[in-house]
Amino acid sequence: MFRERKSYWKSVLKSQEKIEEYAVAVRHTDRRIGAFLEFDPQRVPPKAAEDSPLKGLPIAVKDNIAVEGFGLSCGSKMLSNVRSPYTATAVYKLQEAGMGIVGKTNLDEFGMGSSTDNSALLRTHNPWDTSRVAGGSSGGSAAAVAAGLVPAALGSDTGGSIRQPASFCGIYGLKPTYGSVSRFGLVAYASSLEGIGVVSESLSLTRSIFKTMRDEDQHDQTTGLAQVPEKPVKSIGVLAQTHIEGLSPALQRAYFTSIDEFKKLGYDIQEVQLPTLDYVIPAYYTIASAEASANLARYAGIRYGHQNSLAEDPQELMESSRDEGFGPEVKLRILLGTYVLRSGFQEQYYIRAQKIRTALRSDFDAIFRSVDLLLSPTFPVQAFQHDSSDLDQFQQKLADRFTATANLAGIPALAFPVAIEDGLPAGMQLMAPMHAEEMLFKTAETYQQAFRPVLPEFVQPTISAPQGVDHE
Amino acid sequence: MSSIESEYRTFIGIEIHIQLTTNTKVFCSCPVGFGEEPNTNVCPICLGYPGVLPALNEEALFKAYRVATALNCKLSSSTVFERKNYFYPDMPKNYQISQYLHPIGMDGKIEFPYHDEVRSVRIHDVHLEEDAGKMIHAGDISLIDYNRAGTPLLEIVTEPDLTSGDETEAFIQYFRRFVRYLEVCDGNMEEGSLRCDANISLNYPGGGLGTKVEVKNLNSSRFVRLALDHERQRQAKLLTEGSPIQQETRLWNENRDITVVMRRKEESHDYRYFPEPDLPPFRPTPEYLESVHKKNVELPLQRMQRFKKDYGLEGEALSFLTEEKSRAVFFEATLALIPERNSAAGNGAAGEVYRWLSGDVLRHLNRSHLSLETSFLTPERFAELISLINSGRIHGKIAKQILHAVFVEDKDPTRLLEEKGLEQITDPEEIRSLVKKIITQNPAAATQAAAQVAAGENKVVGFFMGLLMKASSGRSDPQLTRSILLEEFSKKE
Amino acid sequence: MDTRELYTTASLAQLSLSDAEAETLSREISRMLEHFARMREIDVDSLEPTTHTFSKVNRLRTDAKENGERLSHMTDSLLHNAPELEDRFIVIPNVL
Ligand SMILES: [Mg+2]
Ligand SMILES: [Zn+2]
Repeated sequence: MFRERKSYWKSVLKSQEKIEEYAVAVRHTDRRIGAFLEFDPQRVPPKAAEDSPLKGLPIAVKDNIAVEGFGLSCGSKMLSNVRSPYTATAVYKLQEAGMGIVGKTNLDEFGMGSSTDNSALLRTHNPWDTSRVAGGSSGGSAAAVAAGLVPAALGSDTGGSIRQPASFCGIYGLKPTYGSVSRFGLVAYASSLEGIGVVSESLSLTRSIFKTMRDEDQHDQTTGLAQVPEKPVKSIGVLAQTHIEGLSPALQRAYFTSIDEFKKLGYDIQEVQLPTLDYVIPAYYTIASAEASANLARYAGIRYGHQNSLAEDPQELMESSRDEGFGPEVKLRILLGTYVLRSGFQEQYYIRAQKIRTALRSDFDAIFRSVDLLLSPTFPVQAFQHDSSDLDQFQQKLADRFTATANLAGIPALAFPVAIEDGLPAGMQLMAPMHAEEMLFKTAETYQQAFRPVLPEFVQPTISAPQGVDHE
Repeated sequence: MSSIESEYRTFIGIEIHIQLTTNTKVFCSCPVGFGEEPNTNVCPICLGYPGVLPALNEEALFKAYRVATALNCKLSSSTVFERKNYFYPDMPKNYQISQYLHPIGMDGKIEFPYHDEVRSVRIHDVHLEEDAGKMIHAGDISLIDYNRAGTPLLEIVTEPDLTSGDETEAFIQYFRRFVRYLEVCDGNMEEGSLRCDANISLNYPGGGLGTKVEVKNLNSSRFVRLALDHERQRQAKLLTEGSPIQQETRLWNENRDITVVMRRKEESHDYRYFPEPDLPPFRPTPEYLESVHKKNVELPLQRMQRFKKDYGLEGEALSFLTEEKSRAVFFEATLALIPERNSAAGNGAAGEVYRWLSGDVLRHLNRSHLSLETSFLTPERFAELISLINSGRIHGKIAKQILHAVFVEDKDPTRLLEEKGLEQITDPEEIRSLVKKIITQNPAAATQAAAQVAAGENKVVGFFMGLLMKASSGRSDPQLTRSILLEEFSKKE
Repeated sequence: MDTRELYTTASLAQLSLSDAEAETLSREISRMLEHFARMREIDVDSLEPTTHTFSKVNRLRTDAKENGERLSHMTDSLLHNAPELEDRFIVIPNVL
């Protein structure tokens, strides 16, 4: 059954006729979803490659990752007219392995958001319920996968931007170890926190794509690999009750179910303390905004991107182009980041946040001395309604606390579906020590004995996979 | 001037930016060049495209360490790049990757010659950063060229240890020589490979530093002197009047020979430095530092002192021979090949090499737009030529001909001497027979000359010398020819 | 955050805010800063800040053009994105 699904994906780019058939189907479905900012499976023909498990498979790429031939809008009016002159290293490696880049997916402007509703260009809906968001910021990528438009898509994760939409859409989402996948070609939002990762309907495909992208890159001097000894996962840590308050009832149910299932599967479940968890969000947003304020300074309407053509001097040109080109959430984070770096404030905000990061990393060192992996909810709630009044932008930020910990610590984390609750998917995440992605894959694979991911019903008629969608 | 000197102390510090000579830019692989078509040496990285990352150039870092070492700096055990944030149209990312808290080197010192003294300036720090592009203002538009963006720049910041425009000019000229000796920068101020900004404050003796004024737009060492002298006068006048000095940045206006306000303290930037997350810190290992030290060179001041001691050189000769490292090296290599070097005539050889180098050799090089490294003249050939003179096989005029031929024909002097049959005639009998021939050919003049010689008038010999040199194609030994001529005339009487 | 601080910050960030924008933004920034104030509760004075999460240092690139192979030969496509060009120069307005 799952092999059939894999051979379906291997077939869609096989011939001109198949490609056209595929394109029609995707365009038709995506009218309801809004996953793609650009879809054109013929734009960049796949490269001739050695036989690899990825050869001939289509993949979508979040529109903040550079692919020559496509745009690089970052979901912003600022860059909506830019064509990328180059290709990100991670994408290049997938192309070398024979994957076909079929389009660019929607996102919260510059990756800043948890709903993809902050995109200035398009609204993306959750394939499970189009009145709900797909999550964010990699919402377009997750929605494209959940809607059955691609088997996998690249996303970027700065504070949960891959894992949260993956859990909202009922699929897998991997945020790799910081530095294991090149960031060259990923449009920077918060450089020391983010990385390129994968969302996919299939765990084995997630693993293959990650392994193909994972490498040191001469264009990214922050990349670095380390061999970690293979060891079987025996124990899984879970956060003490005080850390997990504020979960929605459905998510709480799913969380406890997943703990029970892991126990049943023979894992030793231990409660662990993460004392710095309460400080994760302020530290994370301080660092992310600070880095963003510098990373987004280059967008000033001079060399590329939106320009106010009426400006009469350089100062006005830069200011008004930025005013017109950036949305409110981006401006908020730029201002916040500029402020926390100002002389007189830097010590109490930016530097303090970096020290908290040090404390968090040593908390994790302690945790991984006692357990092999750490389990937590991905997000406190399931996919929420567009323009939801019970979760405003500020509350959405607070809700990043489980995911953002992994970014502050630089460790890998995998979001995986554990249940369907109230008709919507619920996902959890597993975190591992640096470079121990394989432990995540193995454990999530074992969990498939308890629950196999499914796609929303409307996808089923095209490719039947009632019990689950994984490929092998 | 003199009243300023007695009434006030002057404190001048400078910030020098040097473009390091590398093949490629500091954070991308674009070639470094000058005078190319606009926006041709650019790539997504140095144009600040979305998604790009810097990748540090090994050679730029190595040269930065060499300068910091030569400036006797304390080297950071972990050097960190930081982002310096401000908006400017020719700066692609609107931040400059630079260094702040952990620069490559700190607390250094450099000595330089000033008139007959050795002066010393403390170095605050040495840090590596990237250059910006260039803007050309044309009416109501500006044209931007990013070719220069990303060129490796090393900034050297001194403490305010200089005291006058003249001394600062001398320091900059010396510093230019210093970086050329290290072969880390071409030192070309016109093309902007070496640029500097100054800061100056005045105060009453014992009052410490005064209020600092920065001066920018100093495109030559002369402007540095003029601007600082002007600024010194301006500040002294204000202090004498009892008016406060504003902490501000001023620009040198080279057309009006004055400084004008550019921005006041209140408008100064808050650069919001923070560590560059895209670049890991660099921690020099003992092996790395060893490789830096291995490339240490003798600095211009040390070389001057040694040349003075070893060869007795001074004044114009000393500064000419140490001006360029290549010249000094060529000089010493030549001298080492001249056997008489250590004899009593040793200083003579040094003097002789200097005279030839600063005279005919320099003229040839200038005329043919060549340098000592690129011309056909090698220290071996040059030493050979001088040895030929010293051994009496040729004299000055012939030597000049041979030198010219070396430059043109790419051959050794001895070979040229033989090929062209230019060897000096030193055989008295051969000269005597030539003399006799000339006398026979000019009987009347000879008789007259003989009479004059007899009367103690030797001047007339010059006419016959000319004839003789012509007849021998200039090869006849002048000293010998002259004495044989006189001898023959006296016989005739 | 008061309006004066907001405008100082905005000018450093090269953003000119409308009055309406300024009002909303100052409210939201204040809300975030209040939340950030929570960082004072934890004692981290003795810790070193973590500015980089990776462990490898001393990464260098050799000084050769070949390193940029994937990025060379694209100067023209780079300029195609420029809003205003004149003879390969990028053009911006200037005050006379
Ligand atoms: Mg500088
Ligand atoms: Zn470049």
